[in-house]
Amino acid sequence: MNIFVLLKLVPDTVEELEIAGDGKSLEAEVLRFKQSDPDEHAVEQAILLKEKCSSKVTVVALESPEVDDALFTALAKGADRAVKLTGNLINAQSFAAAQMLANFLKPEGASLPADTLILLRGQSIDDLEGEIGPFLAELLGLPYVCVVTSVVPEGGSVTVMKEFAGGLRGEFAVPMPAVIGIQSAEKPPRYVPFAKIKAIQKTAKIETVDVTPPDSLTRFGVERMYKPEAVGRAQMLEGASEEVADKLVEVLAKNSLI
Amino acid sequence: MDTNPVSLLGSAGLWVLWILTLIAFGVFAWRIYQLVGLLRKGRYEDRFDNLPQRAVHFLKHVLIQPRIFNERSIGLPHFLIFWGFVIYATCFNWALVRGLFPLLPVPYPDEVPIVGLFLELFSVLVLVSLAVALVRRLFFAPPHLHLSVDANLILALIGILMLSTVYGSAFRVVTEGGEFNAWAPFGSLLAKAFSEATPQTAHTMIAAAWWVHIITVLFFLVYLPYSKHLHLLASPFNVFFSNAATRPVGSLNIVGAKEDMTAGASKWEELTWKQMLAGFSCAECGRCDRSCPAATSGSALEPQQIVQKIKQHFVSVGLKPPNGTPKLIGDVIPAADLWTCTTCMACMNCCAVWNEQVPIIVTLRRHLVSQGEVDRTVQDMLGSLQRYGNSFAKSDRMRAKWVQTAGLKIKDARKEPVEYLWFVGDYASYDPRCVDITAKTAKVFAQAGLDFGLLYEAERNAGNDVRRIGEEGLFEMLKEKNQQAFAKAQFKQIVTTDPHTYNTLKNEYSWNGNGVAVKHYTEVLDEQIQAGKLPLKKKLTGRVTYHDPCYLGRYNGVYDAPRRILQALGAEVVEMPRHRDKSYCCGAGGGRIWMEDAEKVKERPSESRIREAVALENVPTFVVACPKDIAMFRDAIKTTGNEGKIVVKDIAELIAEAMEG
Repeated sequence: MNIFVLLKLVPDTVEELEIAGDGKSLEAEVLRFKQSDPDEHAVEQAILLKEKCSSKVTVVALESPEVDDALFTALAKGADRAVKLTGNLINAQSFAAAQMLANFLKPEGASLPADTLILLRGQSIDDLEGEIGPFLAELLGLPYVCVVTSVVPEGGSVTVMKEFAGGLRGEFAVPMPAVIGIQSAEKPPRYVPFAKIKAIQKTAKIETVDVTPPDSLTRFGVERMYKPEAVGRAQMLEGASEEVADKLVEVLAKNSLI
Repeated sequence: MDTNPVSLLGSAGLWVLWILTLIAFGVFAWRIYQLVGLLRKGRYEDRFDNLPQRAVHFLKHVLIQPRIFNERSIGLPHFLIFWGFVIYATCFNWALVRGLFPLLPVPYPDEVPIVGLFLELFSVLVLVSLAVALVRRLFFAPPHLHLSVDANLILALIGILMLSTVYGSAFRVVTEGGEFNAWAPFGSLLAKAFSEATPQTAHTMIAAAWWVHIITVLFFLVYLPYSKHLHLLASPFNVFFSNAATRPVGSLNIVGAKEDMTAGASKWEELTWKQMLAGFSCAECGRCDRSCPAATSGSALEPQQIVQKIKQHFVSVGLKPPNGTPKLIGDVIPAADLWTCTTCMACMNCCAVWNEQVPIIVTLRRHLVSQGEVDRTVQDMLGSLQRYGNSFAKSDRMRAKWVQTAGLKIKDARKEPVEYLWFVGDYASYDPRCVDITAKTAKVFAQAGLDFGLLYEAERNAGNDVRRIGEEGLFEMLKEKNQQAFAKAQFKQIVTTDPHTYNTLKNEYSWNGNGVAVKHYTEVLDEQIQAGKLPLKKKLTGRVTYHDPCYLGRYNGVYDAPRRILQALGAEVVEMPRHRDKSYCCGAGGGRIWMEDAEKVKERPSESRIREAVALENVPTFVVACPKDIAMFRDAIKTTGNEGKIVVKDIAELIAEAMEG
């Protein structure tokens, strides 16, 4: 199989996030980026597939701060090729990113090989809607399934498990090529020892591919960005545990919750 | 005794002796050649430094064997059997050479009165020792002593050697007329039983005893390198080449390595020759297992078995490769066993042949890490260390938040020169259970007049436990980052409250001869108290007990400084039964603090320790000198239901109390 994993870094919430002076973005000075968890699962799923049936795994990311580390880590885990798309890409929103990725994956006039599988995050902390997957699938004209927790190849298609709300799960047969939004891999992402990453950094190369940004990087503008504001609706229950329990029951009853 | 005229099964004695000798020495040499060949297939490491110091270590620990005496019942018996062996081995070779070359103008050893006396004396001492050893094995065997047929056979063989000597002596006395001979006191006593033997019979019996002795030794010679008695040959080398002879035990640095050791060992050939020699040296005595907190708490880990299984594996696989070689980790040694080691050093501290079990375990762990086979919790922690340089998955910018919270002003060693660079460490910096104590320690330092500063957000986890988990590459990275930070700061000494940090900074970081002294805060504060620089306003009263942290005590020999501090404070130190180098690990070391317990834990080490302390009469305070101990023992007090009976206090808290007045 020919597997592509699309990576993107997200702000690291271990650091305190600050709103920039313009009131519309995060303060870049204190911002640090890390790989998002679903991305790590997408890489893991790709490596697991490679271990099961011989595949070529390519990790692709748009140029951004600290993205090299993520690409090298994926190579250390077993990816065969890492590609960084470069150009004037700052502030590219999901649709623009999808356009550039689509152009890279299927340049005009070309067609995707039939055994192509594109894995990416089902969602990320700065894209909870998970819109990039559907955008990309639409641009490439491929089927898309997301919130996927396992991928099993079967001939010219893959059988995927999709999670629904309330613990429901559905099994889908998806013809390849396809775009799959990964929620979690079949196994937790593996640990890659630091020495391996260091060694890969010395021996492997990240290919860079210049892409032409689409006419518009953004489809919408941010009006205002702000931290959660306290609205004062919290009510502290005080006293001995018995009293607190009584009061809690009272509150729940008053709000018709019990 | 002359071998020439003797006829054995119709052949001349001399010829029989030559043939037996050649066969025995031939087989012995062949086996040794094989075993040494195996060692040579191991990886190289340099243990040839500072030979005079190694010789001194050898003389002390091979000839006097103080560690054998750490178990009283067998200490003296083993000592006597060993020295009996030395004397008998010398005389055997003497007698053999004399027997092989009848024309040599020297007497047999037992014909020299003083030598004969020594042989007799030792034969009796050794016989008594053998009896003690046998009774211990049969009726009072301590746990983990390997009760093998092998061991009993060896005792029996030694017994035959001793008895043949005394019997030979007895019949010699008979041939001399049966008079009491002061040079052969026990032979004379025994001779009384054979006073009616004819001179002819007596002569035959002397010859018989001689041949029994010689043939037994020759058999022993062949058998020895196939048995646990190989320790007799290998352990003197093992002691001579031990790391501890010339280097700090707290360092996992492998000197002179020719290969990259980062990925550890997945096959026996990837162990170093010294790690393999451990197997030949092990006497299966079980001291290590008995001292092991993992084994004691019911884990399958037994340090002795690690060493033994590796030996059995490489001897069998190395000499005759079978089809489908079993995997060293997994088939021979289960990975789970390796992870239960707390690297507390108890095993190495009591091993009478100075084996190095902890580095072997770490070497095997390194392979697991290189394959990404680590617990989920450990993986998260390692990921956090890769990214943030601390094990708490917190921002490195928050490392010195405790300074702000406590409203303190502490120098930044990167901006102004200080005498002491305080390397705070992860637990003391981030753990909510520890930060108050850290702030108190800062105040104590200030009042003691120490000129100190921090690295603030430039400090990284020192890497001690990361290294012991087996993540060598990450350790190197952390060390590099810290060294970059050190290069930017100006200081003369380093002080830390964390014994783990202390160990790696002191023993595993290279200071390039910069003369930087690394000290534990108990050492620094002890110095300040001795110099009268700590203003203590009141004397504390009451009884306290002190827990020796593994990485401070066994690893670095700091036992007295904390005790002197406690005495200076006015506290009465009551020792737990396991104290100083017998201290019992809290269970947190070697990365265990980040791992889940196995399902079948009999008693967690920390709980065993708290019960030990609670059993002391009227001791309400459990003093520690390690941030991890605060976490471990406060937990253990709760899980053992001992709240209200004893409290865990950091030694700095007690000092702060005494300073407040």
